[in-house]
Amino acid sequence: MRASRREFMTWVTASGISLSLSRLAAAQEPSFAARETLPGRNHWNPASGGLGRIDGSPKVTGAKLYASDFRAADMPGWPQTTSHALLVRAPDASRVYLGLDLARLDGPLKPTVVVTADDVTKANLTVPDFYAGDLFCPVGKTPLYLGQPLAMLIFDSFDAFDRARLAFRDGTLVQFGDETGPVEGENYGAFRFTRVAGPTPQSPDVYSPILAGWVSPGRMQHSPLPVWEPYARETSKPYGKAARYGEAIRAELTGTDPDLLVLDRRFETQSVDPMFLETESGLGWYDGRSRKLELVLGIQSPYEGAEAIATLLSKAKAAFKPKHIEADFAYMGGGFGGRDHTPFILYVTLAAIFFPGRPVRLAHDRFQQFQGGIKRHAFKMHTRIGISRKTGKITAFAADHVLDGGGLQNFSTNVATVAAAAAIGIYDIPKVDVTTVALHSRGVTAGSMRGYGTVQTMTALETLIDEAAAALPLDPIAFRRRNALAPDGRTMMGNRYTVSVRTLELLDKLEAHPIWTARAAEKARPKRDGIVVGTGVACVTKDYGTGADCSMGRIEIDPQGRISIACDQPEMGNGMGTALASRVAIHIGGLADEVALGQLDAFGALALVTSGNSYTMDQATQDAVEKNSRWVPAISSATAASNGAHVGTHAAAEAARVIFRFGLWPAALALWNIPATDHRAEQWAEARWQEGRLVFADLPPLSLPDLAAKAHAARLVTGAMTHCFSRWAFASATFPIQDKRYRAEADALAVRHGAGPFERVARVAVAFPPTSNNRIGTTFGAQCGTVVRVEIDRTSGAIRIAKAYSVVECGRALVPEVVRGQAQGGFAMGVGYTLLETLPLYEGGPGNGQWNLGQYVVARGSDLPLHDLEIELLPPVSADEPPKGIAEVVMIPVVPAILNAIFDATGHRFYSLPVTPTMLKGALA
Amino acid sequence: MTSSLRTRGLAAAAVLAVCLVRVDAAEPVPAGRLAPPQSFDAIADTHTRSAAIFTELGKVLTSPRCTNCHPAGDRPRQGDHSRPHQPPVFRGPDGFGTASMRCGSCHGAANFEPGRMPGHSDWHLAPRSMAWEGRSVAEICEQIKDPARNGQRKVEDLLHHIGQDTLVGWAWAPGYGRTPAPGTQAEAGALVAAWIASGAACPLK
Amino acid sequence: MTALVITINGRVHGPTEVRDDLTMNDFLREYLGMTGTKFGCGAAQCLSCAIIVDEPDGTSSTSPTCIVPAVSFNGKTIRTVEGHAKGDELSVLQKAFIHHFAFQCGYCTPGFLNEGQVLLERLARTPVARADVESTIAEALDGHLCRCTGYVKYHEAVRSVILAEPQRYLL
Repeated sequence: MRASRREFMTWVTASGISLSLSRLAAAQEPSFAARETLPGRNHWNPASGGLGRIDGSPKVTGAKLYASDFRAADMPGWPQTTSHALLVRAPDASRVYLGLDLARLDGPLKPTVVVTADDVTKANLTVPDFYAGDLFCPVGKTPLYLGQPLAMLIFDSFDAFDRARLAFRDGTLVQFGDETGPVEGENYGAFRFTRVAGPTPQSPDVYSPILAGWVSPGRMQHSPLPVWEPYARETSKPYGKAARYGEAIRAELTGTDPDLLVLDRRFETQSVDPMFLETESGLGWYDGRSRKLELVLGIQSPYEGAEAIATLLSKAKAAFKPKHIEADFAYMGGGFGGRDHTPFILYVTLAAIFFPGRPVRLAHDRFQQFQGGIKRHAFKMHTRIGISRKTGKITAFAADHVLDGGGLQNFSTNVATVAAAAAIGIYDIPKVDVTTVALHSRGVTAGSMRGYGTVQTMTALETLIDEAAAALPLDPIAFRRRNALAPDGRTMMGNRYTVSVRTLELLDKLEAHPIWTARAAEKARPKRDGIVVGTGVACVTKDYGTGADCSMGRIEIDPQGRISIACDQPEMGNGMGTALASRVAIHIGGLADEVALGQLDAFGALALVTSGNSYTMDQATQDAVEKNSRWVPAISSATAASNGAHVGTHAAAEAARVIFRFGLWPAALALWNIPATDHRAEQWAEARWQEGRLVFADLPPLSLPDLAAKAHAARLVTGAMTHCFSRWAFASATFPIQDKRYRAEADALAVRHGAGPFERVARVAVAFPPTSNNRIGTTFGAQCGTVVRVEIDRTSGAIRIAKAYSVVECGRALVPEVVRGQAQGGFAMGVGYTLLETLPLYEGGPGNGQWNLGQYVVARGSDLPLHDLEIELLPPVSADEPPKGIAEVVMIPVVPAILNAIFDATGHRFYSLPVTPTMLKGALA
Repeated sequence: MTSSLRTRGLAAAAVLAVCLVRVDAAEPVPAGRLAPPQSFDAIADTHTRSAAIFTELGKVLTSPRCTNCHPAGDRPRQGDHSRPHQPPVFRGPDGFGTASMRCGSCHGAANFEPGRMPGHSDWHLAPRSMAWEGRSVAEICEQIKDPARNGQRKVEDLLHHIGQDTLVGWAWAPGYGRTPAPGTQAEAGALVAAWIASGAACPLK
Repeated sequence: MTALVITINGRVHGPTEVRDDLTMNDFLREYLGMTGTKFGCGAAQCLSCAIIVDEPDGTSSTSPTCIVPAVSFNGKTIRTVEGHAKGDELSVLQKAFIHHFAFQCGYCTPGFLNEGQVLLERLARTPVARADVESTIAEALDGHLCRCTGYVKYHEAVRSVILAEPQRYLL
């Protein structure tokens, strides 16, 4: 999937393209880097004292910050005029594409350049494996999916572009011929996860994915779905074993045992759009003379994006092949997963290289964003659950998931496995068998979106749990408590969590909350005519991280004690920059006034190299390659999978610790006149920052500027950069610094002494997490529970969420207000997903290019209990508990809690989303 | 695909049957068109003829172009599917929106085609008493004749409102992405005139 | 084509020859490079593109820009997100947005800021009762879409400004 060997920063592809991603020089216009380094030296920093975000001022003053804000004239050194590209997409994927009727675009509307599938072929471009599929549908073929690009038209002037795009909007300039039916494609992946626990919680599992590896059915026959059951005909041995255990579990769930309550239910979820408010856009300039390609992009995955672009051009004909690519990554107007590994950037690249010498902008309008942007997978789930009527314990669980992946594979395979691994949520179930398959379809491509399959499977689960509790009958929270996974229990993969598991605390909080305790009274209380009232609860756990996550952080302190941070993670609104500054401040006592995000060029001193695929690598390979002290399993990750706080800030935190230990602490010792031989010299862990001063024992507190001045004067460590890697545990390494062996949760380090340059510190020992961890579903989980009260009008079916409460455990909240904001936003998105948002998958769906926000309705303020939405963050289990990732988990319980409340109010269970007023009206009729 | 085609065929046949029964001697009229008043001449009974003419006019009155801004509640609808208006706007005290969300903030003096935005200088909601959404043609007919619910208009005033009012006239030139009301405003006006001349009778149901 | 003259944030722009079918949003973003005013949906459904229009009588209102021709603003006076701060001094509402962590990605912020500012100016002219504050804010902001925040902190921020000066905004 990836280049076998990558040398970061000085990476020159085999084809001769250098990819330096360097910052732009300052010119008359503020440079891109200067605009995007926040809050900026000598600017007010709202994050000081926790009064706001580091990006506060630019965002309330309309500063240029987002990729969609930049034009050629804003870029120092670029030509002044911007040309504009129009990406024409297919509104039909069951007839042959015959071409565009460009004759109607004459005179001033005539495009200067038209890029088609032919041009891509002639230019010899290479579609990266991850995006495999025609970049443009060739004439004479049926589009692979609705919304597939057909051609790109580039216009010299904005006015020509503006008028031409109107001419295209009714679709009549796109010509189709014979009906062929949709293009069929192989599925994107099928897996079976089966676990049979041992007889006691302490005994080893009989069978689990951890023990046996992940298995897939080997035989698809020629049906669109894998053939799961007849394992006897299965040739692949590992699959056969899982299938035998799995089928035995299913046999128990046939409902013949009178002591076993068996529920057999189907649940369907819809396709939705992440609907980040800033549509995808980018700016490119290919200077044909210098052969330099410059890009301004806004994506969650900068490093992957840069790699994909370099791959695209790696074998291009000379005219289309830059010698050098410079990419700048801007703040994003929302992401929610939909900007992680988006193919859009490939088209920005094409716009630039097919119109050399001219800066070109490509931007979706909202219709196009619906037509071409990544969607959330629609799921069909069939679940069986068995519960002992005597004990109220869940004994067995089986489920089959079918995902609609749309036209390109993108993350479909990963979403399927993550969703399956979440199928049993917070519960301890000794026998589990889950199959999953992600299908190709002619729908718009589905990929990463907040919740990543788990909002689908845990919605099905948490509504089923509610139904089971009612059938037993048991109190819904008591039933959950009885079956909750203990902190040392095993997940359905067979591993244990390595972080706190606080389900019981959450359940206690939910149970004691007034919305829950007053549920019966509220239901019985006379209301306005025709209003029915219901209360629902749900509690979930969501993994954070992907199993191969990394980040890079660089911290510098100047002699005045001012702190600069650079990080490879970009900002999509999740508060990455503020979280970084806050986490670094824990270690070095001051809040950075320069935070630069989405930086890939700041880490050259680490001289990293990588090889292989960290997700699939075997142990022997890792053992061999890790001997090179520059080698790391992966260079840089997307800001995704809720890993911003946990992984994204980790490298910077480790760098800050180095600066403290080898810069500020020895400076403090010097100022306190404590010699190195004094026993107190080793007590650095006991020092504390209080209001910007370092406090230790009864010595006079020292200010950061004093310490920084001393560290600079004494040429102590004043800057550090690290790379960290996590495969369900952080890699750690030992580094020789100042004649000590320093162990850090980092696998690469460079330090700066005084005002000197950064110098790499080669690790002398490293412990990468074992490659067998790749079999783990997750060891990192954050939990969230929600209780909601709904009021439904019998006559109209209109539903109002009267009150809600979410309780989240997030480890140490780096910026509590940002966490609360995420929880409030997750609540709103959960409401939209449950009650409002839906996209038809195929014809009539967003691929037709006619969808906008009048038809696709997302939650507004009036849909939410703005003054009755309570968010509680559990305090960390200890002062040094690391931050957890919560961006996704805060959305998930909202959905089943609303559905359970609807059941409580109406006595009707809905098994598909969204639940509309018409459906509610029908249920109440 | 096959089944939906079949359904569509059935629906078309049903509509045709209704037209034939309803209009009696009139020629079937293609979708999107209005039958002229004289096509009802064959109906001998004046009352029945008048009611039939109103039923034909009903095609206009029940078009989304009319009902969207003659809503049952305080929130207009939009588009051919008559979805609730986004963003949520409400009639406000004067029918021109609330303090923060005035109709004229978005709806200019005329349609603005690049934005797919319909417009008229007088863009506003019909009063609550004139709600047509969800009502049958017969109900709208009774309502339209009732001075208490038609803004104290005489039936003759409807001739101007439907036949000449330029805001009503927008319904026949609604801009990109919206199906115009059937026929033309002049044809609708002619139906109103013929309906009044024939005694302004209402269909039974 | 029309020669457009418009006062933006106190500065006269133009005359500029513009097409009659050019949107105000494109005039601001593509012609003037003033990208503080956002483009969200192009259909007046999210209002991230809203600006403030100042009327000669001293009143103000918001207007979307994505579905309105630029020429309809000929001779008018408008304010955009770039015009709220006086030099480095942020407006009261801008500060409130920051202190309440009102936004996350910030893309809808210009629209909320303009709407909130117009609400404050309206309340200064016609105050409301304390009991009506929440519903007044809810009504004023409901046209604006935000996908990150759940709106709670925007409402809290606007309310904090109103409640901090009851003599100005409340009956």
